[in-house]
Amino acid sequence: MFGATLSRWTMSYFAAALAFLVIGETMMVLGYGYPAAAMEAPETLALVHTIALGWLSLLMAGALLQFVPVLVGRPLCCTHLALPALVLLVAGIAGLVLGFVGLSGSIDLPPIVLPVAAVLTIAGFALIGFAFAATLWRARPLPLTARFVVIGLGALVVTVLLGGTYAFVLGGVAGADAAIALTLEGVSLHAVLGLGGWLTFTTMGVSYRLLTMFMLSPDGERRSSRIVWLSGSGALGLVAGGIPLILAGSVGRFALLLLAAFLGVLAVVVYASDIFRIYRERRRREIELNIRASIGAFGALAAAMVLFVGLLVTGRIEQGIGSLVYLVAFGWLTGMGLAQLYKIIPFMTWLECYGPALGRTATPRVQDLVVEMRALRWFRAFYASVLIATLGLSVGAEPLFRLASLCQLVAILVLVLEFTRARRLSNVPASLRLPTGAQRPHLFLPSFQLWRQP
Amino acid sequence: MTIEPHELDVRPILRGGGDPFPVIMNAVDNLVPGQALRLIASFRPVPLFSVMAGRGFSHQEEALGNGDWAVLFRPQEQVDDIRVSGGDMNLDGWPDPTRQLDLTDLDPPEPMVRVLAALEKMEVGEVLFALLAREPLFLYPELAKRGHRWAGNFDATGEIYRILIRVGKPDHHVGA
Repeated sequence: MFGATLSRWTMSYFAAALAFLVIGETMMVLGYGYPAAAMEAPETLALVHTIALGWLSLLMAGALLQFVPVLVGRPLCCTHLALPALVLLVAGIAGLVLGFVGLSGSIDLPPIVLPVAAVLTIAGFALIGFAFAATLWRARPLPLTARFVVIGLGALVVTVLLGGTYAFVLGGVAGADAAIALTLEGVSLHAVLGLGGWLTFTTMGVSYRLLTMFMLSPDGERRSSRIVWLSGSGALGLVAGGIPLILAGSVGRFALLLLAAFLGVLAVVVYASDIFRIYRERRRREIELNIRASIGAFGALAAAMVLFVGLLVTGRIEQGIGSLVYLVAFGWLTGMGLAQLYKIIPFMTWLECYGPALGRTATPRVQDLVVEMRALRWFRAFYASVLIATLGLSVGAEPLFRLASLCQLVAILVLVLEFTRARRLSNVPASLRLPTGAQRPHLFLPSFQLWRQP
Repeated sequence: MTIEPHELDVRPILRGGGDPFPVIMNAVDNLVPGQALRLIASFRPVPLFSVMAGRGFSHQEEALGNGDWAVLFRPQEQVDDIRVSGGDMNLDGWPDPTRQLDLTDLDPPEPMVRVLAALEKMEVGEVLFALLAREPLFLYPELAKRGHRWAGNFDATGEIYRILIRVGKPDHHVGA
């Protein structure tokens, strides 16, 4: 059986992810973690993991539940793993964040919380990662877009294993020299593989398919896209290769990482030209808000690359790393995530609600579930706040950063409200809202009928 | 499967001094999966053989006399690329399509809506043929739920998806 069905738990993943995003934004508004605290302070680790795991990784996992079948044209294997994985991930990530807060000394928690939370998180990723891997394995030979996901999943495995090691060391459970060496020297590799491999590389692969689909652009596999895949995979492979070098204590790591940086920049540059071409060759003149709002994310990715090269050349990477990571996490990944949620949520809601009635009676269009003009301003406010916050971080103006974070929090809350309105069919004219055969979807839990499907 | 070949006589175009190539390519694009093209021309269209081979067609020539030629272009077997709905899929027994839809210019998910709407107006056993710009991944489960059978594949350029759908009745024993 070919085809893709609706993923039952994707909406629940999105809801949990957005909750973590709101928590993370609130932490920044309140001045918790970087830049008020040091980069390596436990407060910063709590903030970073709220965003990178709670928001971005849950978002990615939920999106892949829906997109992996679309990329390979086959239903997902082991769909029953999605719920236990979500439960483990939410418990594990919340535990990790609390564990870091405990390390900072502001609450009293036993140190064992961190390793236990790490085990829960790894178990959650293992379950959902197994479902993705099994689906991809059965769909061989894989199209190029799906091969991006394979590399992204590989990066996820290395990232969580490194993270698990740190949690055991910080929790006082592991004391081996190798584990301590990794904790002292491997954090940047952990961050690059997480943000650059798992989150960015996967997003790049999925975006090739989504953008061509929504804009009716030619979507054949191009040589340029293969170059992006090869150079990106090469860069991530070299970064992962830094881990045995740390363990062996041998030199040569700098050259390795420099080559990885070159390949990474090459991948992003070719990717940017591909994206530019997809927009230019589109057959739809009018593009929807999710595609317009993605332009801000692509701009942020390009800006982050320029900043990265600039910092590398001037030897100021240590001073600028905060702004760089912020720009990648919020401008690129969060911007892209919010923009695509603006399409994915209405589309899934539309199919869930009106699928059985399609063709039999008049149904609303997907576009009727949203009001783009209203959301457009909030996307603009979001990107403006990212820009100001990045500048605030670059010049060390903490009050400006917190003010920009407040604007960002408001923009995100309004966008969450827009997602909720789409889900609730609030924008659909009452006469069309629930024709015969349509079923009103739950806000973020699967509907009963979907629940009972095998 | 033995769908009747599509017959195209380009002799009138050649007599009028026109270029038959775009007409031939258009006809090729509109073939249903597995369908052959029978081309009749006032000369032996040698240059076309390599073009058609590039698009996955073999050829078989026949001289008709008076310098006229008939060439049967058959799609080479590509069973692996044809996606079928499963169940009883003896395509030989399918009638010719009674409705044809070209939905290649519509934004997703509009093609899905149009196909389902067209199927609702057709009788059980009738066949719809549609051209799409993308493989309709979300349409398949909906077709299965409604008891329809389908077979589809990309054309040789990989840009247009062709699908034949035979109207059926919902059958709760068939898994969606």
